[in-house]
Amino acid sequence: MDRICSKEKKASIAVYVPAESDFVLKNSLVTAWPGDAGEAVLEGCFPAQSVWAEVGKRLIRKRSAVLGLLLIVLLCLMAVFGPEMNRYTYSEQNLNRKNLAPGVQILEKTRIINEEETPEIKYWFGSDGFGRDIWTRTWVGTRISLMIALSAAMINMVIGISYGMISGYFGGRTDMLMQRFLEIVHGIPRLVVITLLLLVMRPGMMTIILALVLTEWMGMSRVVRAEVLRVKEQEFILASRTLGAGSIRIMVREILPNSLGPILTQVMLSVPAAIFAEAFLSFAGLGIPAPQCSLGSLIFDGFNCFTLYPYQIIPPAAVMVMLMLGFYLTADALREVLSLKR
Amino acid sequence: MKSYMLKRVITACFTLLAITLVLFILMQLMPGSPFNDEKLSVEQRLSLYENYGLDQPVIVQFFRYLGKMLRGDFGVSYTISKNTPVMQLVQTRLPVSVRIGGAAVGLGAVLGLALGLVAALKKNTIWDAAATVISVIGVSVPSYVFALVLSYTLGFKLGWFPMLYRTKEALNSSVLPAVSLSMFTMASIARFTKTEMTEILESDYMLFAESRGIYGPALILHHALRNALFPLITVLAPLIVDLMTGSLVVEKIFSIPGVGSLLVSAIQSNDYNLVIALSFIYSAMYLGIMLAVDIFYGIIDPRVRLTRD
Amino acid sequence: MSRDQEILLNIADLDLTFPTAFGPLHAVRGVNIELIRGQALAVVGESGSGKTVTMKAVAGILPPNTKINRGSITFTYSNQEGLQKSTDLLSKGKRWMRRHINGKRIAMVFQDPVSSLNPTMSIGRQLTEGMIWHHKASKKEAWNRAIDLLEEVGIEDAPKWMKCYPHQLSGGMCQRVAIAIALSCQPELLICDEPTTALDVSIQEKMMDLIRRLQRKRGISVIYITHDLGAVARAADMIYVMYAGKIVEKGMTREVLYDPRHPYTWGLLLSMPDLNCENQRLYSIPGSPPTLLQESQGDAFSPRNRYAMIVDDKAEPPMFAITKTHAAATWLLDARAPKVEMPDELKKRLEGMKKEAGDSGRG
Repeated sequence: MDRICSKEKKASIAVYVPAESDFVLKNSLVTAWPGDAGEAVLEGCFPAQSVWAEVGKRLIRKRSAVLGLLLIVLLCLMAVFGPEMNRYTYSEQNLNRKNLAPGVQILEKTRIINEEETPEIKYWFGSDGFGRDIWTRTWVGTRISLMIALSAAMINMVIGISYGMISGYFGGRTDMLMQRFLEIVHGIPRLVVITLLLLVMRPGMMTIILALVLTEWMGMSRVVRAEVLRVKEQEFILASRTLGAGSIRIMVREILPNSLGPILTQVMLSVPAAIFAEAFLSFAGLGIPAPQCSLGSLIFDGFNCFTLYPYQIIPPAAVMVMLMLGFYLTADALREVLSLKR
Repeated sequence: MKSYMLKRVITACFTLLAITLVLFILMQLMPGSPFNDEKLSVEQRLSLYENYGLDQPVIVQFFRYLGKMLRGDFGVSYTISKNTPVMQLVQTRLPVSVRIGGAAVGLGAVLGLALGLVAALKKNTIWDAAATVISVIGVSVPSYVFALVLSYTLGFKLGWFPMLYRTKEALNSSVLPAVSLSMFTMASIARFTKTEMTEILESDYMLFAESRGIYGPALILHHALRNALFPLITVLAPLIVDLMTGSLVVEKIFSIPGVGSLLVSAIQSNDYNLVIALSFIYSAMYLGIMLAVDIFYGIIDPRVRLTRD
Repeated sequence: MSRDQEILLNIADLDLTFPTAFGPLHAVRGVNIELIRGQALAVVGESGSGKTVTMKAVAGILPPNTKINRGSITFTYSNQEGLQKSTDLLSKGKRWMRRHINGKRIAMVFQDPVSSLNPTMSIGRQLTEGMIWHHKASKKEAWNRAIDLLEEVGIEDAPKWMKCYPHQLSGGMCQRVAIAIALSCQPELLICDEPTTALDVSIQEKMMDLIRRLQRKRGISVIYITHDLGAVARAADMIYVMYAGKIVEKGMTREVLYDPRHPYTWGLLLSMPDLNCENQRLYSIPGSPPTLLQESQGDAFSPRNRYAMIVDDKAEPPMFAITKTHAAATWLLDARAPKVEMPDELKKRLEGMKKEAGDSGRG
């Protein structure tokens, strides 16, 4: 056969000129086609990629994600080590050193006779109305706010995952009842839930966490249910069931790992929501009782004198904004990267 | 569609019932019943019980209580403003909250829509980046931090607007709270509009419209914007309720005489009657608006009108 | 080619790349297609072979980030003054395309009829939109023409449906409406992207008949994009088989159907469900098409080809001409290649098909 379209031949032959020896069939099973033999040839066309490695790789490439993660890590480190960086404690008061501006060095003449002159006193972020170090208080507050937010997020995750899983996996009447219940609970405004809770409980960390859990778990359970419904229909679940796996095993070993992405995003989003809500409660005077402090209560304290000493409100407010920004950016980037996966 | 609406109405009724039940139980548990007086004899107490219907079964009491709530009879305030009917207190406070919240929602929705549209239409340009940055800031900076910043700069330093709410200058003093409250709405709407719009712009029907030669503003207005606006209403609804019923913190910062600050003081001074009344009003408004929005959405959007059943 | 066979559309060496999150996707790799006015042409291939992208390029609705590496799309049409004019569509801007080509001269119907109609616009509004837009028709005039169009595509009780929304229509009706919308501005070329795939089997044939009828009645040209050779067997004059962004076999319909030369075409023909043959399992080509993210060396079909030769991994086969109109890109047609016959099963099948076609031709 020499009837070759000359133009096209030239273009391809420029790369490689086939020799006579190339014209040998690789597969000797020609006569058996179509048959079952020779499938092995097809292997290796499609390299398998680890999904999570790919997600991580793409996350790192996103500037917003890197910035977000950096903020979170930095602020968490400061929440752990920040309070130890100077010699003040969060509750130590010194009424002689009230409302000092940040970084000002003062030579203080002590009025206590049997002590010699204290050389230099410096508050990095200034001191508050009780002469407490704002630096230390800010990081202690960050620590408490983070603790509240993280525990609320974790409890939410557990409740939400269980509820969503059961509802989505079993479906039918169970799902119907559970969804009707969810609709009713969802209809109760969160402000009302919090208000009523505060009527019957004492303000404190536990109350705040409980309030956050009661108002936030629905979101998580919805996400999980949607994921379960999506994953449930896929072949590998059926395969696993055919192999005799029980419901719980399928839920934990098959569905959960495959729903991890959206769950993670939802957790990331629920942390800033909790930080926001905690601050909101503190502001309403219903937060952490003194002398303990959270970011919210620090902002509230700062607000009371913020026209006189604006520097007192800046550190906690800035930390809160950075913290929320960090979580939002990361969650956003995560969601975007995960949506590409599908 | 009719059965869907019916379902929504029934769910809303059940929710309100559940909330009222919780409120009722809390009321029973609260200390300070007027009949706990030691000086009352057993007969007197019984006759009092009879007078107030407290000898009836709990169920009957509950429905009587529910009826009272629905008629707007919430009793009197105990501590905040002694013996003033709760309804009267709420009536003076609610309009202020609603006005400021309404302004915030309006402002936020318009700005957010514009931002979201720009971001979706000019995807991957500097406009998109700017809109994204603004909306990220709007979501992650709490409204009270905005309020503090605005109050310090525009209020305290520059003196353009009053730092504290003045009833005589209602308009001028609503500016700062409304702006700070609108930020979150703006950011949420912007994000939502962007996602929705992007999805629509990539849809088959947009491609089909383009393939028959429709382009420019006509394409965006007739085909894309309409479809993006419908679901926007459902996002806006919870934001509206949140803002209309007053923000506790922002009202406190600007000392606005709204329902939000009323609730805070009620909680702080253990004015149970007031707290419960406000909770009920808030829930009823919340459910009412959500229901109205759902039904309205169903009526205007043919996709919902024709498919949901 | 005779004088009256005027070339309406000539795609020459079209080569496109999309940037994606996974890297550049080389979707179309030097495609040549020729369409003669009044004829129907089918581009056949599996999903991901680049057939839709090629036709989107013709319709000027490629995603904005598409990179056109080379090639041209020459479209010949009569302009407002009635003069014949040939234009390279790739050289024109989006605005120009929308104003002069889209809808008026080239229209497209998409795979999923339900999602290609705007869910919040009534059928009537979507039908009249184009006429008002392009031909500045009055609302009333457009409305009446729209009703005629609906009747033309076989929708009874047309005025009643004008006020309905897409969700109230069945898939088949949506596709009829979409065809009516596409035809509303009298295009010369209609591109049908998998016009029957999303539809119920029972109405697939009706839909193909409808398009054929409209083609003949209006004297327009049609391009079918499909993965089902059987669906277009009767409708198309020419068939182009596409694989991994390239044309691997082209020819008159009977040439490609009854004398296929490329192993991929053999596979496609074998995987057609055949109602006449009993006790036969449905065949499918092993493996799946390459992702087009990597550049392949040699023949892209080689890993899935039972007749792959060593040369297939080394060099890309050129188009070997078989007749004036028929050509295929496989090294099996090279003089040095061992003689390979198509599988016996396919032979049997083709004979059956030929007989059937002959019967229906007589009947």
